[in-house]
Formats: sequence, C-alpha cells, structure tokens
Amino acid sequence: MMRVKAILRNPPLLTFLLVALVWLVAGLSLRGFGAYGHLRYLLELAAVIGIAAAGQTLVVLMGGIDLSVGAVITVTAILLPLLSPAWDPTGLVGVALVLAIAIGIGLLNGAGATFLKVPPIIMTLAMATFLQGMLVLVAGGSAVTVQNPAVLLLGQSRPLGIPAGVVLWVLVSIGMLLLIHRMPIGARFLALGANPLAARLSGVSTTRNTLILYALSGFFAGLAGLLLLGMNRQGYVGIGDPYLLTSIAAVVLGGTSILGGRGTYAGTIPGAILLVTTTALITVVNASPGWRSIMFGTLILALLMISGREARR
Amino acid sequence: MTQASSSRLYGAIQRRRNRGLVGLYLVVGAFLLLYAVLFPGILTIGGFSKFTQNWFPLALVTMAQALLMLNGGITLAIGPLVSLGAVIAATTMGSAFGVPGGILAVIATGLGIGAATGAIVALLRLPAIIVTLAGSFIITGVALILLPRPGGFVPGWLSTLLAGHTPVAFLLLLVILALWKIFLATPLGLAIYAAGDNPVGAFRSGVPIERVKIVSFALSGVLAALGGLFVAAQTGSGDPIIGAPFTLNSIAAAVLGGVGFLGGKGTMRGAVCGSLLLSVMINVMFFLGFPPVAQYVAQGLIIVGAVAVPARLALWRAAR
Repeated sequence: MMRVKAILRNPPLLTFLLVALVWLVAGLSLRGFGAYGHLRYLLELAAVIGIAAAGQTLVVLMGGIDLSVGAVITVTAILLPLLSPAWDPTGLVGVALVLAIAIGIGLLNGAGATFLKVPPIIMTLAMATFLQGMLVLVAGGSAVTVQNPAVLLLGQSRPLGIPAGVVLWVLVSIGMLLLIHRMPIGARFLALGANPLAARLSGVSTTRNTLILYALSGFFAGLAGLLLLGMNRQGYVGIGDPYLLTSIAAVVLGGTSILGGRGTYAGTIPGAILLVTTTALITVVNASPGWRSIMFGTLILALLMISGREARR
Repeated sequence: MTQASSSRLYGAIQRRRNRGLVGLYLVVGAFLLLYAVLFPGILTIGGFSKFTQNWFPLALVTMAQALLMLNGGITLAIGPLVSLGAVIAATTMGSAFGVPGGILAVIATGLGIGAATGAIVALLRLPAIIVTLAGSFIITGVALILLPRPGGFVPGWLSTLLAGHTPVAFLLLLVILALWKIFLATPLGLAIYAAGDNPVGAFRSGVPIERVKIVSFALSGVLAALGGLFVAAQTGSGDPIIGAPFTLNSIAAAVLGGVGFLGGKGTMRGAVCGSLLLSVMINVMFFLGFPPVAQYVAQGLIIVGAVAVPARLALWRAAR
C-alpha cells in the first residue's frame, strides 16, 4: 500500500507506467502495434516532441512559458536549406548558423522578459507572430527541400538499427537530467521558479538566468526543428505549429507544475511518448477529423486527471 | 467615466484604476485620429458601423478572456468556442428552431461548455491553461462534426440588423459593458476580483472560490459563443475553424489593456480598450497598404512595445 502511494506521488514514474500499460494493451489488441518497426517509429516521432519540450520544461520549471517553440522550429526548418553554403560538404556550417539563430531568438525572448519586463507568455507570443511574418518575407511561403548532409544523416540514418533522432534524444535527456538535478544552474532555475523573490535575495541573478534559460529553450527548439527537417526532407511555413501545444502538453503530462519550481525532465520523456502513442492509436481508429479531435482532447484530459494534478493549495 | 456625482471614495478609486491606463488611452486616441485622417469615412454612420462591427467580436472575446484572467485563470479555448458558436448559429437558425431558438442554443452551449470547463478546473484542481488546451481539441471536434465544411445559413435580416449600416453592434457592446458594470456591483462580481487577487484571503472571508470560478468560466463561455454568433451573422454562414485567430488575439488584447496573468490586476475597460487598440492597429495597417506579412511583424513589435513601455515607466518611477 505504501508503495502504491509512493508511485502515485511520483508523476514521472506514473507516466512511465501509463505508457507501458498503453503499449502493452495496444500491442496485445492491435495487430502491428507491437512490431519493432512501429514502436521505433513512435519513438522517432516522440524524439521531436521530447527535444522541443526539453527547453519548454526548463522554462516552465522557472515559472514561465515559451509560446515561440513552434515558430522557432519552423524558422530553423526553413532557414537551414537557405543558409547551408554549397562549399561545405559536411553541412555542419549550416547547422551551426541555424542553431545560432535559434539561440539568438531565445536570447531576444529572454531580453524582453528580463530587461523590458514583458510577461514571458506575451513576449514569446509576440515573437512567434513576428517570426511568422519574417518567415514569409524571407522564404516567400514555398516549401524548401533539404540537401544538407548532416541534417539528412540526423533524420534518416539508423546506427545499429536505432534512429539517429532517438540517439540524439537520449543524449539530450542525459544532458537535461544532469543540468536540472546535478548542476548549480539547474538548482538556480528551480529556485527562481519556486520563489523568485527569495532566490533573488539569496543572490541568484534573475537577469542572467532568464537569458540563459530562454537561449537554451531556443537552442532545443532549433535542434528539434533540424531533426524534424531531416525526417521530413522538406521545410515549409507552419511545419512547427503542432509542436507548440504538444511541447506544453508533454511537460504538464510529465507532472511538472505549470506554476514553476516543481518537476523534472524525467516526466517529460514519457509525456512525449504518451502523446505520440495517443495520436497513433487515434489514427488507427478510422474516424472523421472531428471525432479524432474529440478523442485526442478527451484522452489528454483523462491523462491529465491521472498525472497532472496540482497540489491542493 | 462620468459618475462624478458618486461619493469621493468611489471617485478616488476610479481615478487610481484609470491612472495606469492613461498611456493606453493616449495610444488608442492617436491611432483613432490616424485612422480618421487616413479614412475619413469612419466619421459617417455607415463607416462607424463597419468599423465597430470589425471590432465587436474581438471586444467580446477579449472580455471573455479578461474575465478569466481577472479571476486568476486563462483559457486557450476561445477560438474554438467562437467557431462552435458560429456553427451552432448557422445550423440551428435555418431549422425549425428559428432565430430565437438559435440564439438560445448558442448561449446554452457557451454556458454549458464554460461551466463544465470551470468545474473541471475548480473541482479537480487542474491547471486552467492545460484543461482549456485539451478542451479546445474537443470543442473543435464538435464543431467539425456539426459542420464539416463551411456552410449553414443565417437569415439575411439578422445579418443586416447586426452587420448592416447601423451601429447596432456598438450599442450591443455598450449594453454588455453596462451589464458588466452592474454585475461587478453584486457580491458574485466582486468575488471574481477577490478570488483572483488573493484566493486564500477571499476563501477565509467567505467567498465560495470554486463556485466563483465556475461562474466566471461559464460567463466567459457565453461571451465567446456570442462572438461566434456575431461572426456567423457577419459572414452569413458558419465555418468550423473561423475562430482560430481569436485565442491569441484575446490574450494579446487583454494584456495590452493591462490585465495581469496572476489575477485581480486590471480592469475590464482596459481590456476593451486593448481590443480597440489591436483592432484599430490592424485596420490602419490594412489601409496603409501593409502586406499581411508586414502586419504580423508590426503587430509583434507593437504588442511588445505597448507592454514594455508602461512596465519600464513603472520601474523608473519606483526607482526615483
């Protein structure tokens, strides 16, 4: 009984168990769901959400929210083919350039939040609107095909049968968990999220940490954009839009408090897998778009009731 | 505000609540002036009517959003609710229910969905932002099932009445604002602010926090669904995704109007002013011949500016 209670109080573990349960039931009842290729495909899709949600997790932990994730993903996916120079056979120059732009966008978000005192939700929302306009100006609204070898390698190759995107996600996860739980900067983020005033009075610099935080969020969104582009082979305006809400949903399903200060990336990982699995299951059921949308919403709500509850205040 | 005859305390409070909004009033005034110079047609009855009709749905959804933000919540389901309102209006008014039945159906839908969302948020203690996010998928789904493709029918006379050459929309907005003013004078209306500003304090003073939250979600749902009804009358038909831009615009307008995210901070008049600013801005850029793309860029910049400048000024004042 004690053990059950401990599990219920541990949202990341609970979400993991939920994923295992859904996979088990679906694997036994649906032909082809449990096939290695299908599960690998699910993980590959979850990797994009998981990496985009890495930055979102940090921002939410510090009590903010980043509504520009989708726009940054689109920006990287569209700019990469345009910025990759032809003389570079590895394609790494283009990758570095685009990631620098993503970090720059994040820094601008952070600067707006900390220097101009614009609430993060409105700063990142305005940034998303701004980027949406800039993109059409730059790219003219047509789809671009990627030829950058580094990005294609990331999206298409399978070392030892494991997709490179999933490998990247594992690396990001290890980095994130170390950053949040083993590094001083993670402790500072959590402290600022839990009680900004107390953290500031204890000598934690809000300005510096906000800048770093949003730069990281921009970086991870950019990385997710590159992976998505590599998997898709094509970038177009709007490619990143679905990832804004799914990144937030993955964070919250993982038990991280939307109010900040409490949570872990260990919950976001199963959160992302759960979202992708839910979508896959709904696609299996042959329903009209309306019913699919209703099922998705209801399932998120149901999952939320299990794992996303705020503590009584 | 013109209640100069009221007590001095009331006047003082109103002055204090207006103080933070002076900058906003000036910016809105400047934009309106620019608009009148660029497009003198606004000064005729017909031009004024058209202008207010473009503003009216945004004003309604901004009120719906601000109502929740004042109570310490937020909703991401505004756009889908507008779409659903439009779809229900367009599917019921042509049938046996007629126009009165259609209007009732729209109001009942908004009220029901809002109250259900509020009950989930308040009683199960789930974060509003994510419940309404999930809710937006469900509501969009319902709208898509009721009307998979744009269509349906709104009687011509209703379209002419609401979106013709008479300022009916503006008068309706004044009526709704007057109703809000009266509602604020009731214990329930006051409780929305109180529960948003300090939930624990309000609870200890006997405010039924949960019930207040459910009521605010329900009222917000009605306002958003009515916005959808108006949009359906404007376009003469229903469209299951027509409301999409309203979600973010309602948040932007409310924040432009000085409504805070943490509850209890801000005023409804500020929010309505914010929606007017956003609406005028879009109109002015349209008449200046900005391509839609540049409008996005300018909108992003102006929103940040309009929020950042007062925040910086307040800091500067506090530092002195």
